[in-house]
Amino acid sequence: MSSQAKTPRNSDRRTRLLAISAMFAALALIFSYVEVLIPVPVPVPGIKLGLANLVIIIALYRMGFRYAFTINMVRIVAAGLLFSGVFGMIYSFAGGILSIIVMYLLYRTDKFSMVGVSMAGGVCHNLGQLLTACVLLENTGILSYFSVLLFSGLVSGILIGILAYVIEKRLPPFTE
Amino acid sequence: MIKKADIILLILIVAAGLIISFGPLAKKAGGTDVRVTLDGDTYGIYSLAEDRTITIEKDGHTNVIVIEDGTVHMESSTCKNQICVKHGKISLKGDSIVCLPNRVVVEIEGEGGEADVISG
Repeated sequence: MSSQAKTPRNSDRRTRLLAISAMFAALALIFSYVEVLIPVPVPVPGIKLGLANLVIIIALYRMGFRYAFTINMVRIVAAGLLFSGVFGMIYSFAGGILSIIVMYLLYRTDKFSMVGVSMAGGVCHNLGQLLTACVLLENTGILSYFSVLLFSGLVSGILIGILAYVIEKRLPPFTE
Repeated sequence: MIKKADIILLILIVAAGLIISFGPLAKKAGGTDVRVTLDGDTYGIYSLAEDRTITIEKDGHTNVIVIEDGTVHMESSTCKNQICVKHGKISLKGDSIVCLPNRVVVEIEGEGGEADVISG
């Protein structure tokens, strides 16, 4: 592995992936921001489209778990510092880490399409956030809220999954 | 584009969602405040989030209510039947502990809930 990394072709590939990751992180960050501007027709906090997940799923399929995970972490830290604050960052970390691990595991089984992976990711993202809220607020009563978040995560996950599928097909290959 | 496993996953998630929606968890939301009523009048409203001990004394009766870790229980009461003390901890909206002999009612209230009809 280390001897391969020294060959010019491989370092070229890594540089490309690095540049693309940086671009993806920036894109995911913009999506996190844009999302705040899109009004959600339901007056329930915590329901959102999860546009940033679009970027993360494509990163997962094209570049693998490590890249996708890192991009997501960079996005959460940046978005946390810029928009949502440190408390929002804790929630985002919980949701983001849980959802990307679940998505990766489903992706690895090779039995699910992008829509299925994204669906599970959306639900797990909300689950992670809700569990964090339970711990932080020391109140298990808010778990009753999960049914609402489960269905919203499901619907937004399916939408994002379909979008990701359509977009991923049209993207040129990242490395030759 | 959509595989068989996707459909199975979708059905599983929806089923889980329905079970949660109609299961015991969804029945009651967690409360936020504790209302203590003495002799039909509100004695005080306390936050469920703050640990505290409330001692009520009236006509030689004493009730000690403890708010602890988001739950409320009747620590002690001078009543005979001790039903209120045996009731244990409550934490969900709408739950209540009643000490009939001493006419003390402890109720949990939540934000945005409908007020109970007050009659008589």
